[in-house]
Amino acid sequence: MDTLQSLGYGFSICLQPMNLVYCFLGVLMGTLVGVLPGLGPAAAISLLLPTVFHLSGVSSLIMLAGITYGAQYGGSTTSILLNIPGEASSVATSFDGYQMAKQGRAGPALGIAAFGSFIAGTFGIVALMLFAPTLASAALRFGPPEYFSLAVMSLTLVTYLTKGSVARSLAMACAGIIISLVGLDPITSGSRFTFGLRPLTDGFDIVLLAMGLFGMSEVLANIGSSSKQAVVVSTKTNVRDLFPNRTDWSHSAKPIARGTLIGFFLGLIPGTGNAIPTFISYAMERKFSKYPEKFGTGVIEGVAGPESTNNAACSGTFIPLLSLGIPANPSTAILLGALMIIGFQPGPLLIESHPDVFWGLVASMYMGNVMLLVLNLPLIGLWVRMLKIPYSILSVLIILFCEIGAYSINSSVTDVLIMNLFGLVGYLMKRYDYSGAPLILAFILGPMLERSLRQSLILSHGSPAIFFSRPVSLAFLLLAIALVISTLFTGQRIGKKAIDMEEA
Amino acid sequence: MRSRDLKSGLLLLAFSAVVLYESLRIGLGTPAKPGSGFLTFCAAVVLIGLSLFLIHRGWNVREAKMTHSRKVILALAVLIVYSLVLDSLGFIVATFLAVAALFGLQTSRPWWVVLALSALVTLSAYVVFGVLLQVFFPPGLLGI
Repeated sequence: MDTLQSLGYGFSICLQPMNLVYCFLGVLMGTLVGVLPGLGPAAAISLLLPTVFHLSGVSSLIMLAGITYGAQYGGSTTSILLNIPGEASSVATSFDGYQMAKQGRAGPALGIAAFGSFIAGTFGIVALMLFAPTLASAALRFGPPEYFSLAVMSLTLVTYLTKGSVARSLAMACAGIIISLVGLDPITSGSRFTFGLRPLTDGFDIVLLAMGLFGMSEVLANIGSSSKQAVVVSTKTNVRDLFPNRTDWSHSAKPIARGTLIGFFLGLIPGTGNAIPTFISYAMERKFSKYPEKFGTGVIEGVAGPESTNNAACSGTFIPLLSLGIPANPSTAILLGALMIIGFQPGPLLIESHPDVFWGLVASMYMGNVMLLVLNLPLIGLWVRMLKIPYSILSVLIILFCEIGAYSINSSVTDVLIMNLFGLVGYLMKRYDYSGAPLILAFILGPMLERSLRQSLILSHGSPAIFFSRPVSLAFLLLAIALVISTLFTGQRIGKKAIDMEEA
Repeated sequence: MRSRDLKSGLLLLAFSAVVLYESLRIGLGTPAKPGSGFLTFCAAVVLIGLSLFLIHRGWNVREAKMTHSRKVILALAVLIVYSLVLDSLGFIVATFLAVAALFGLQTSRPWWVVLALSALVTLSAYVVFGVLLQVFFPPGLLGI
């Protein structure tokens, strides 16, 4: 009953006209980002992060969250129609979706992608609504050792599940921790790593880091890429074509249900992101199928499973974010940064102390999912036409948006310079195959890691045994240690195939 | 050509050495009362280990020469110069020049199209952000 009352309160916030407008803008931009290859949700959220300084806290969060789940919908459209996955999480959809389109069944493929996404997204929100407050109440009993171990486990999972070399990912996590601690020490107020430069006294702003590493670097890498812009073929669709028939539904029901569960539970794990679960879902559907050999030739199960999975995973990532303050992927790390900028302390107290933020966000996700369903089906033609905008124009607009965004934070040109330098670092990281995900997550978790480590050691008079003597802390650390040991001994990671298929 | 592991390992080694030195300078504290440099010291030690591993892994590996696109180098140069002159030239002048340079780098359209497009983008950005969203841009040469 409490939950329903709280949800009603959330809807009273979300249904305020301005919040509805921001929710609509968020899902619209998210869909656009999903459609356009080379601009991921993390980059888009980072570009819009400066808006938190100009809008009310809840409104800007509603908009930024809309981008994360809107991107999952948008990616499917171009995957199916053009075999151009706008997002890594839509790659698996293209295997059968594009084949269906070539056979003249683009409509049912798009339809089942949209309906599957809607069903999974809605289930994910219900689960978020039920699980997050429970997890937050449990986390209220966490002390510094539990938070330290939780941060260590999250960072280990992220490095373990990031595509490419584990050593490089770990190196990025260490670099992220170091960068996050630049500025004043919160305990002693002494400055560190500022090298006498005043702009560094407050440390690096998450907005500058995120825009540089994700926004600027993606644009720069695309400018340097020799690949030609996608050739867009004309595809005629109408809304009537989009509704799957009874056979399609009967083939898709179980994949949607399985995809929803896989996506939701894997979404809870930091580092899995939205892409890895889609490959697991695709592999699982092939295994369960009576005709696995037909996968890749245009079977609807190959679209329904992954598409439901990526939306459910997206909702799942909000649970550790809102109840523990632990981001699961770069997009949620940047959202966490937005929460901190607005002045909300992420963690178990967030739901209790700022119910408007939590329930307003949950309600907006319901509204956003409905908006996406209504938006996506009739606007497919428009999204396809968007791909015809020359990248030379689009890239300059994105760069300009980054520059203005960086400047608008403190009206400081130094911030613009810092953001451009992070852009350079991000570009080099891309060229040298270093992922930005461990770095940004470590940057967000670094201060919590340090605070909880120092508090724990003060509590235990310097004994590290405190981390192993408390059951929850021990469980987190054992999981982290098990992951590291499994990599060292087996030389490869569990789920390596799915991780490697993910586009960073 | 040296491998990416070797080059990035050397860079990370230099970075972690600086962090290690600075952490020691600001103080590690004691286990019972860790100081400001404690966690960064630990992170730097791990990073040194990882850098050495990357250097070792990439020592005998030879890769094809990595070329950076001329366009990217020039775009980065434009952006660094933009951040340095934004205050003195002002938003409108600096942005117009930077946008024109970035368009010029990527398109083969005639120069007058590039200039007209740059002017349109700059003025639109000024109206949207400077006038409507009231971002206070540096006035610079034009005084607005």
